[in-house]
Amino acid sequence: MHPLIKRILARLLSALLVLWLAASTAFVAIHALPGKIEDVLAGDLQYPGLREAISAQWGLDRSLAWQYGHFLERLAHGDLGSSYVMQQDVIQVLSSQIWPTVQLALSAGVLATVLALVVATLTAGRSRLSRRLASAVELILASTPVFWLGLLLLIAFSFQWRLFPVSGATGWKSLVLPAVTLALPLAGVLSQVTREALEQALEQAFVTTIRARGLGELALRLRHLLRHALLPVVTLGGWLIGSLLGGAVITEKMFGRPGVGSVTLNAVLSQDLPVVLAVVLLAALIHVVISTLLDVLYLFIDPRLNTP
Amino acid sequence: MNFRLTAWLTLTAMATTAFTLSACQKDAAISTAQATTAPVSGGTLTWGVGTEPTCFDPHSSSQQNSFFLIRNYVDSLVAKLADGSFAPWLAKSWSISEDGKTYDFVLRDDVSFSDGTPFNAEAVKANFDYILKNSAVTSASASLLVQYDHIEVVSPTEVKIVLKTPDSTTLESLSSVKLGFLSPKTLSDNKDLCAGGPALVGTGPFTFTSYQRGQEATFSRNPNYHWAPAFAQNKGPAYLDKVVYRFLPEASVRTGALSSGQVDLIEGVQPTDIGVFDKAEGFQYLTGPSATTSFTLNINYTTGPAADVRVRRALRDGFDLDAIVKSVYLGTVRRAWSNIGPDNADYATHLKDSWGNKVEQANQLLDQAGWTQRDSEGFRTKDGQRLSIEVGYPQPYVRDSRDVLIRAIQSALRQNIGLDLHLHITTAGDFANQKATGNWTIYPNTDNPSDVAMELWDMLGDRGFLYNAIAKSDPVITGDINKARQLKAGPERRELLGKIQQYAVDQAYIVPLFAPAYHVAAKSRVHGVYFEPQLDSPGNSYDLWATPATQ
Repeated sequence: MHPLIKRILARLLSALLVLWLAASTAFVAIHALPGKIEDVLAGDLQYPGLREAISAQWGLDRSLAWQYGHFLERLAHGDLGSSYVMQQDVIQVLSSQIWPTVQLALSAGVLATVLALVVATLTAGRSRLSRRLASAVELILASTPVFWLGLLLLIAFSFQWRLFPVSGATGWKSLVLPAVTLALPLAGVLSQVTREALEQALEQAFVTTIRARGLGELALRLRHLLRHALLPVVTLGGWLIGSLLGGAVITEKMFGRPGVGSVTLNAVLSQDLPVVLAVVLLAALIHVVISTLLDVLYLFIDPRLNTP
Repeated sequence: MNFRLTAWLTLTAMATTAFTLSACQKDAAISTAQATTAPVSGGTLTWGVGTEPTCFDPHSSSQQNSFFLIRNYVDSLVAKLADGSFAPWLAKSWSISEDGKTYDFVLRDDVSFSDGTPFNAEAVKANFDYILKNSAVTSASASLLVQYDHIEVVSPTEVKIVLKTPDSTTLESLSSVKLGFLSPKTLSDNKDLCAGGPALVGTGPFTFTSYQRGQEATFSRNPNYHWAPAFAQNKGPAYLDKVVYRFLPEASVRTGALSSGQVDLIEGVQPTDIGVFDKAEGFQYLTGPSATTSFTLNINYTTGPAADVRVRRALRDGFDLDAIVKSVYLGTVRRAWSNIGPDNADYATHLKDSWGNKVEQANQLLDQAGWTQRDSEGFRTKDGQRLSIEVGYPQPYVRDSRDVLIRAIQSALRQNIGLDLHLHITTAGDFANQKATGNWTIYPNTDNPSDVAMELWDMLGDRGFLYNAIAKSDPVITGDINKARQLKAGPERRELLGKIQQYAVDQAYIVPLFAPAYHVAAKSRVHGVYFEPQLDSPGNSYDLWATPATQ
């Protein structure tokens, strides 16, 4: 077998393993929570036969092993079941919510990366004042809670100057404030890491050689140094995805935007098992896909990894 | 960390206030044409609401805040009025048999669902059948039909509802949106009734145009509507062409959205923001009634130190509730005297000024009960045990600064009488577990039903929500409650309900805290905001109309 195919197969197998582990952990975690699910679903209602009816409806009266087996079996058929609380097909609910979240996470991710690269490229190795100023701003942004930043942006750009709508997901205008809210704290962290990497690269011997050849400072940074600096940023990719998805929960709630975030939050609070399981699987899937992509990306950025 | 958070919050609050003040001054110039009194038809209004319904099926939803949206497309058999009486709605008239077990309803013959299906006795039966057949998911409405035996379709315009045992809460239940009506076609066709949208068809003044999850729901006028309930001013079709409910979970975002003119009405105005709209030019601010239940500490009187009436009374009287409620809610809500809301017709008015804030007596009671020693932290002890009672508050129900209120009481009780009222924020599952085994200690809550017998039964009845698993409940109070549920509406029932409330407070089975109410703010060009008595929340958008913005 071709070594590349072998590598891909191994990768796929480990991805499946991760997904199965994630699903099983979530299943166990939900069932380990105190209280029976049928009691939680019954809420403050009390009448004869209610709990039995709820248990029978969702198969909660069967053994845990049966429920787990049934869950895996349906999963294999691409069926994630029906939400206990929303009483709708989970895949239908999530698929209607995923696009707004992807839009938000993607635009915030791109914005954060671009901002970080621009600021880092312009300030690395420059005067003490500009570096200090930049890192002070970065520190403030990185430690700003998303909800507070969002509220400030809303007050200024939506309530006061009325440039952007307060809520919804209709058109690019409604995406601007949530994306900026989500991007700025991440840009702060990314920019610090990138500058650090750039400054390390600036001290390397090859920089002196390139300068000696007479290449301009900006060209040096863009053509030769950025590549070096990108490696730590790519390494942070997994963290970035996690932060984007986590931050999306708060941002979506704050801006009244549709998305997976608010669905997840409500599902966890109401022990809506099928939805929680689906979200965990989705998150695991995204992480697996992204980390595979990042592995490939490394090979392109750093050709040294390609040589056996 | 805590300091940092507080500083940030303060800064944000200052920024919000500065912004909203300037917004008010600006809007002062746009003084609206309040002189217009005749309603104007047409236009669209947008609500900013805090809660997005998880389910739009009236039979399945149990969220109080979903009902005033659902009311836009769902009507009921009878209408509850503010004085607690019932008026015709989809039923023209009714009679109740001598034994209280048979209810005969004569239906209007000119009502149709917005899909054209006529509303008739078969439609009533189809809805009840649907609820009972799907009781695992319709538990919120099925619980109202526990006493129900069967329904007879006498003729297209006459139905007979027969109960197993007499139940005086029946009319109340039938006036509830949970027992409202969907088109039989909707019931038989659609599996995803929770998902909302045009497939959900009722007889209400609006039709369900669209729903974008996480964003908004839109309703359009039903042009044929002419069967309004007596609590509405309007009698014909709704004034508005369209009404939009936007979901804005953050209170400060709702405030900003209204003051910047991006929505026309909001509900759930937080106490600190009321000044932005109350008596401000260009805006109006309304407080709803408190007719269901007050936020109450329900004390499990069968277990631990709270099994001693002296301890319960000390807990009840050991703090200044007036002052605490005033400081937490800035004077925007009323302190409670009973677990029944002060605007309910069956509220025991004589409880006012009868209890609370008797610190000296509370201390004497605890001394008498043997809690005479103190531990190193100043709490009272007996036989080496600290006088500690846990308040188990499930996290999903914590809202409106209710945890802050309990913490304030906790601190007052510690200081005043050395009692450790220990607030424990639990999970819904944790609480469900405690309740199933009867192990809960103090459960703080408000409850939906606005029928007082039903509410008392839920919280204190022998088969109710809290005491179902507890064998040793007090037969005096549970007996009276069961009796009240069977008594016909009238002075005898009202007197008994008053007596039960008084007994519950006297025995300190309950410590009522405050009477929650809905806070609504709107642009002053919006008219016809009202509160539906049965919901105790804002009503639907049927009566709403707006002076054209250009005036």
